Amino acid sequence: MKAIRNIQYGAMVFFGLLLGTSCSGLLDEPLENQQIAEGTDYTQTQNMVLMLYGAYNQLYDFGWEIYPSISVRGDDIDIGGRGDQPLFALADSFRYDRNFWAMNSAWTGLYGDLIYWQGAIEEIQKYQEAGANGTTAQQYIAEIKVLQGFEMLQLARMWGRILIPQSSEPSALLDVELSSFEEVMQYVSARMDEAIPLLPDMRPNQRSDVRGGVTRYTALAVKAIANLELKNYPAVAEATGQIISSGLFSLEPDFYHLFKLRGKLNNENLLELQYSDYGTATGTSNKYLWDFFGPTSWTPTRDGASGGWGFWEPSMKYIQFMLDRGERERLETTVIFTPDGITDVRNAYPNAPSWISNATPDGDVFNNSVRTKFYSGKHYLPSAMLTEGRTAYGENKNFTCIRYAEVLLMHAEALTSGATSSVMTADAAVNAVRNRVGLGPLSGVTLDQVLDEKFAEFAGEWGIRFYDVVRHDQTAELSYGGRTYDATTSRFYPYPLEQQDVLPQLREGN
Amino acid sequence: MRNLFTCLLALFMLPFMAAGQQGRVSGKVTDAVASGGIPGVTVMVKGATTATQTDASGNYSIEAAAGDTLIFRSLGFAMQEIPVAGQTILNVVLEDEGTELEEVVVIGYGTQRQRDLTTAVATVKAADIAKTPTATAMQSLQGRVAGVQIVSNGAPGASPTVRLRGIGSFEGNAAPLYVVDGMFFDNIDFLNPNDIETISVLKDASASAIYGVRAGNGVVLIETKSGAYNKPGEIVYDAYYGIQNPQNVLKMANAQQFVQYINGTGSAADIALIQNAIQRYGRSRIDPSLPDVNTDWYNEIMSPAPIQNHNLSFSGGGESTRYSIGGSYFNQEGLLDLQRNNYRRLNFRVKVDSKVKDWLNVGGNFNVSTARQYNGENTAWFLAYFGVPILPVYDDGNASATPVKYANAQQIGYRSTQNPFFPLEYVDNRNHVAKLLGNFHAEVNVWENKLKFRTQYNYGLSFVNTRRVDFAYHDGVTNHQSAIRRRNTSNYDQVWDNFLTYNDDFGKHNLNVVLGQSYRSEYSELLFARGTAINPAPSRAAEQFWYLQNATDFDLNDIGDASDPDYNSINANLQFLSFFGRAAYNYDGRYLLYTTFRRDGNNKFQKTWGNFATVGAGWVLSEEDFFDVEGIDFLKFRASWGQLGNDAISPSVGLPTIEENNGAIDGTRVIGWRLNPTFDLITQWETTVEKNFGLDAQFLNNRLSLEADYFIRDTRNLAVTIVPPVFPSAERRSVGEIRNQGLELNLNWRDDLSEDFSYNIGGNIATLKNQVLGLGGASGLNAGTAEFRQRSIIGQPYQAFYGYEVTGVFDSQQEIQDTYNADFAAERSLVPGDLIFKDQNGDGIIDDQDRVVLGSYMPDFTWGANLGFRYKKLEFAALLQGQTGYNILNRKRGEMIFTNDTNIDADLATNLWTEGGGSSKNYPSASGLRRAWNQVMSSYFVEEGSYFRLQNVRLSYSFLGREINGVTWPEARVTLTAERPLTVFKYNGFNPEVANGVDREVYPIPAIYTLGVTIKL
Repeated sequence: MKAIRNIQYGAMVFFGLLLGTSCSGLLDEPLENQQIAEGTDYTQTQNMVLMLYGAYNQLYDFGWEIYPSISVRGDDIDIGGRGDQPLFALADSFRYDRNFWAMNSAWTGLYGDLIYWQGAIEEIQKYQEAGANGTTAQQYIAEIKVLQGFEMLQLARMWGRILIPQSSEPSALLDVELSSFEEVMQYVSARMDEAIPLLPDMRPNQRSDVRGGVTRYTALAVKAIANLELKNYPAVAEATGQIISSGLFSLEPDFYHLFKLRGKLNNENLLELQYSDYGTATGTSNKYLWDFFGPTSWTPTRDGASGGWGFWEPSMKYIQFMLDRGERERLETTVIFTPDGITDVRNAYPNAPSWISNATPDGDVFNNSVRTKFYSGKHYLPSAMLTEGRTAYGENKNFTCIRYAEVLLMHAEALTSGATSSVMTADAAVNAVRNRVGLGPLSGVTLDQVLDEKFAEFAGEWGIRFYDVVRHDQTAELSYGGRTYDATTSRFYPYPLEQQDVLPQLREGN
Repeated sequence: MRNLFTCLLALFMLPFMAAGQQGRVSGKVTDAVASGGIPGVTVMVKGATTATQTDASGNYSIEAAAGDTLIFRSLGFAMQEIPVAGQTILNVVLEDEGTELEEVVVIGYGTQRQRDLTTAVATVKAADIAKTPTATAMQSLQGRVAGVQIVSNGAPGASPTVRLRGIGSFEGNAAPLYVVDGMFFDNIDFLNPNDIETISVLKDASASAIYGVRAGNGVVLIETKSGAYNKPGEIVYDAYYGIQNPQNVLKMANAQQFVQYINGTGSAADIALIQNAIQRYGRSRIDPSLPDVNTDWYNEIMSPAPIQNHNLSFSGGGESTRYSIGGSYFNQEGLLDLQRNNYRRLNFRVKVDSKVKDWLNVGGNFNVSTARQYNGENTAWFLAYFGVPILPVYDDGNASATPVKYANAQQIGYRSTQNPFFPLEYVDNRNHVAKLLGNFHAEVNVWENKLKFRTQYNYGLSFVNTRRVDFAYHDGVTNHQSAIRRRNTSNYDQVWDNFLTYNDDFGKHNLNVVLGQSYRSEYSELLFARGTAINPAPSRAAEQFWYLQNATDFDLNDIGDASDPDYNSINANLQFLSFFGRAAYNYDGRYLLYTTFRRDGNNKFQKTWGNFATVGAGWVLSEEDFFDVEGIDFLKFRASWGQLGNDAISPSVGLPTIEENNGAIDGTRVIGWRLNPTFDLITQWETTVEKNFGLDAQFLNNRLSLEADYFIRDTRNLAVTIVPPVFPSAERRSVGEIRNQGLELNLNWRDDLSEDFSYNIGGNIATLKNQVLGLGGASGLNAGTAEFRQRSIIGQPYQAFYGYEVTGVFDSQQEIQDTYNADFAAERSLVPGDLIFKDQNGDGIIDDQDRVVLGSYMPDFTWGANLGFRYKKLEFAALLQGQTGYNILNRKRGEMIFTNDTNIDADLATNLWTEGGGSSKNYPSASGLRRAWNQVMSSYFVEEGSYFRLQNVRLSYSFLGREINGVTWPEARVTLTAERPLTVFKYNGFNPEVANGVDREVYPIPAIYTLGVTIKL
């Protein structure tokens, strides 16, 4: 009897075990702190602006390797940084390695932005559908389209034929055909046309909601660059003419200080990457990785300020070009000399002026470096301008992307390439830029003079020089210092190997 | 939670009763050969938890019913089962068995006799664990268990990397699951090795399948020490003190070799730096071409360090209660000088079992561990390698350096400060670790010792508080702000198991069935913050002010409590529910059958429920009547098949998410949102299916034993990263597939030549082949870094080194022309002294198509050998071990690609290719080191890692209860141990043990020499 009773108890235990099954509701606990996009409450329309902020933050979070990938190939700048990242030095000499990590990183960095921005556009549309102010929503979308246009331009300039993303889903690109360089530029131009009427009619620094954000004129500038690449000079003249005739923009009188703190949200800027140390000696800081441009050895006026990696070496060709022109202000702003660099300059150019010094106008002294002979002055912030307590090179400096001088000289380039404009003559545009740095006016400027002016003005900035000489078929300029530019293989980078692995159309299009 | 408790409350409410007249049985257990009493024999009532041990004279006394059967078991003797049959005195003679076959092995949710196993289980006992002076018990398994790869870690208190039968997961180091008295842990760094009774390594899937979804990387069961019923109390003091001595210290180029190398590069800029050093630090009088400095950085930053452990335990038991109580103190100093670098741990434990009623046994187990760890700054190891020997430690001329005038290489023109004393002096890393394990269990005898119900509730708490302090200092060139970063994590884990065990014999049929249910949860919290410009500035003299509250500013990008960007950990609230069962059957000890089943549910993945099953069978051939082979005492064949899961992978969100980012708009920090369209979709845990074929045998009167296992372990649904088109971040998907297969052999000979002299000798070997079988469509998956590529390729080992194969060094221009396409060679400006890369596809040029697999960091072959003898009271034991067939990426040499103005190792410096005959065909020329051609990933950087090591040598002498001057001295033992006194290898690094195969800054692994003492009262 007892045994039977115990069996009954045993059965009860077993029953109890089975009971546990009903506890499986526990397994529905969600993961911690994951904001599922599907769960967004779009009626909270005050959150819509967060997508716009996010878009700008995404732009400002610009990887350090992207900029040299875009800009290294011209005769204005060499990579420097000898002994480090040798494949960048090869790229500087038009010997491209499709397996170079920085190329893949530049590709994914820019495309990543395009995809994130597409996602922001889609999200903003959902807020609008849920009742957010339509005008505001459409303006935000237009702003983001301009950011997309600017980076799509860079992608096409580097790789020629690229994929134009139409969706926030990266895998959708598997079904997208390659677009030709021209198709990309036309696409960008058309997108800017869509955006322009929806954007605020003011300078970026006049915006009160997102100061330094995109305006109608940013869109026009991007449109101008796209059409320049298309050699559609009338469209360039038209777009630049609109910017000029707005009368909103002006050149910063002091070229040197344009690239220092005074350049932040300057009246000359149409697009810039914004950074800040928030005025505190330590703690939170959002900064571009200026270390890339910094000196490996210097004696800063602010004791204890940090240097950097010793990349981005203005070319001897550029220095000689500037010395030939008798320029000082732009040379001194663009190039920082080291003692060894000065020796080289004097050897190559016996008549070099005596003002050349390895001390900057702000008193920082640049010492010799194994890695480079010259440093980039445009990417240098004097140590004395650092917020008290801060030591990182360039901290609190903004990174300018498009400035009014480029608009003026694109205007001049278009006019000297056959376009017409009633807004401003080529002479006036060029002379405005020259006047700022104390150079006398020219009259009857030719295309070559405009290109020279751009060379002098934009050295080290965004590859402007490289794309100029390629566009105007003056690529012989690029074969200097042991480099040989080959028009068939040097203009575009090969698609990164890792991208060829995932996108069959790249393998075929290579 | 509440839901759970209501659900399971029913289990607790059930009343139980059991039957049986109890009485007391006592007697003496003697040795058939030596005819003396045998101490320490386990005496237990069959099918019950009642057990005791014999005293020093072999006497015992146990509570048993008239109808019970008593089991007598002791190591080295054949087990005996004797029915009580109403007797009160039972004297027993045990026959020498010389085999471990009768031993009981701990398996999941129960035990099994070794001889009945159909699975591969290896057990390591307290005596062997205690041989290794270490903070973490797993280290003592190195070389002892075939198929368990242990990669040592030399840092104080650090755990070794443990891999069971290869790598079966791409995430989380593929670490096994540790089950400590029923509680699940990721590692057992908090346990005092001395508190462990046994470590059972469940090697094959069949053995570990009962742990279902957690068992994919193997399971290690840890039983802590218990007392024994009816055993007089015993006090044991156990301690050792020793010295850790750095060994195989890598020789770096000295000043003369360094200057010779720099001259060889022909780089005017670098040669000028040597002149700068001469100017600043003076000229050597012996060799005027050198600066008057010759710093051996390793020598400067490193010195021998002590290690010690003290352990005090009390154990014993009465008729109905047994206990084990103890405490221990462990202290290991690090090898780094100057900086605080040590590990101290204090442990306390109590384990009590009591027979409250004749049908109810309850017990509890608490283990409290608190540790303080000062971590050395690993950068110091890195800098000691790269620091040029022409830089002194101190430089009085470095006037602006404060507070200490350390020399700064930047002042003689080098790119970085190079001096390892900066990180040593100005960083302090402290971890406070507290781990608590609480366990409560109750066992109810439901039905006549045949059916038992056990409930056990385990709680694991762990708190890790880290604090990193960066001091404010000026290195003479750059000013550095002070900062404090604190990070606190708390983990609250619980496991509640309820299961029934049924044991019965029907004639020759023996059956054991387990049926149970388990609930588990893992909850963790995280909080971290970083403050800067600490005021007052932190100094070692005033540690009482090292608080975030004294920070002037906070770094808003480094404050959080949801996920930590540096550590990739997130807060978690994970829930698991399981049902499991096991049946083990044998017929007459000849035919063995084994099966388990587990059903696991979780909230971690999209797939909620999964089933895991195993079946195994064994045939004890030697038990068959027809088997009569001279010299073979025991022979068993076994085979098993089992399924496992691995949920120790990051959970996945499975859908696009909205992420936060931040930036500066007009000098104001702005938080924004972005839509991340990519996401991890880990639909389920990783699944493993393993087949294991084994053989156990005993020969020559059980003196020789052999165990052999062959396994094929296939893991599917591996979480792998896939590369989405154009996007910078990768996505994880459950699409990988990997295979590990290998052979394990264990052979041991043991013989007692006389009462005074016995000896043993044995060895184990294991082979392993690791092969990636699938990556969800991709042919390969990149790993490592872009410069030093590793790649998982279908058919190749996981994360194999991938690059160019070096076949030599070019001796002449002619050779270059003969090897490659002339245009290519000219374009690359190749010169003699450059490496020759094999043109794999024969197209005359070297490009990414010529890359091949250069090796794997997983050893093909691991082995261990042991040797021991006992002569009277003197015992000697030695353990040797080694690993072969694997590679190490000498990433230190590879650093040249980023910074080339640093020192190089002496072997490289003295064997560089030079113009003229007889020079190296392995290394490039001095200038070649600096050319991009020679800096790409190639077999030049991938070195053979194989090593042979004298792992442990131990000599001990026992003083057994000797009477001196009328006083009986306690039993005592003195031990001398040498851990890792000798390691032999070719690799050009500190040590050939590098967990992930990439040697950049690995903490050296020292030799340890200790003197130990054990006193029993």
